[in-house]
Amino acid sequence: MHAARAGSRIARATLVKDLTPLVWHVARGNGLDRTTAEDVVQTVWLALFSHINSLAEPKALASWLITTTRREAHRVRVKVTNDLPLTDEMAEQLPSTQPQPEDEALRTDRDTRLWRAFGELPEKCQELLRLTVLAGRSEYRLVAEAMQMKRGSIGPTRGRCLNTLRELLDTEGGGG
Amino acid sequence: MTKIEPTGGQAHPGDEALLAELDRMIDEFDPPPAGLVERIQFAIALEDLDVEVARWERADSLAGVRGSDQGTITFTVSDLTVMINLTRIGENNRIDGWLVPAGEHAVEIRVAEHGSRETTADEGGRFVLDGVPRGTTQIIIQLYGPPARTVVTPTVLL
Repeated sequence: MHAARAGSRIARATLVKDLTPLVWHVARGNGLDRTTAEDVVQTVWLALFSHINSLAEPKALASWLITTTRREAHRVRVKVTNDLPLTDEMAEQLPSTQPQPEDEALRTDRDTRLWRAFGELPEKCQELLRLTVLAGRSEYRLVAEAMQMKRGSIGPTRGRCLNTLRELLDTEGGGG
Repeated sequence: MTKIEPTGGQAHPGDEALLAELDRMIDEFDPPPAGLVERIQFAIALEDLDVEVARWERADSLAGVRGSDQGTITFTVSDLTVMINLTRIGENNRIDGWLVPAGEHAVEIRVAEHGSRETTADEGGRFVLDGVPRGTTQIIIQLYGPPARTVVTPTVLL
């Protein structure tokens, strides 16, 4: 991070490689389709490196990325809504924001149902669970640190999201 | 076997297993697109990163269509609009561009692994570049002020 601020191209490339999944999953967790999420991820990184001098605390990087991605996702969605008001009927005709499994036969039934149920969760839950999963990986200690700041609210909320997911899964699959 | 978390939340015994499943599934069902990291690394490999970032004003974002029939692409940042019109000629692209507000601004088009091409817009803000190799492309515009500004676009696969 210090090296990235000093302008080392390799340091910047490494940061991008390490933390793009984080930015990606925040964008996707905020309701963007994959195409729009890809634009937002690029915009966020370009914005980071053009403002990196004002980012004083390296530890703040993960939370900066999360906050900026949320804001950018919101901005994009407001714009889309203004451009073309969505009616329920149109919304139904939109392609799902979830990628379709390319070959469902290769997936287990359980995976497909779980992923579908996940897509029905409120966005806040989708984002929180994506972040929780990433934060549990060793390479995302930064994310865990960023989330630790508000651990008090995360435990119970995460539990409620997981409960909702279980309920959706039961409803969806008719049990089992 | 319900355990009480330090925060006071009630943890379901299956929480950890469910999270482990999700951990596997986000990689399986929703990984970042192939090549995205490389495209971003290309986009930020600039000499001077004191730039403003233009956003892709994508008319087709609702349809989720990418790459087909991209006649015109528009980028905007604050008061500046960059429109480019693309014509495929063989292996290359001809790029007709238009900057608003108009001015004789410097335009650089970078294509991954193909270096960059430079030109200057005319006083009407128009510029043309012929024979631009196809690939991951980024446009950089130097606006002669005052104040001087540099605007970059995200990379686009053209």
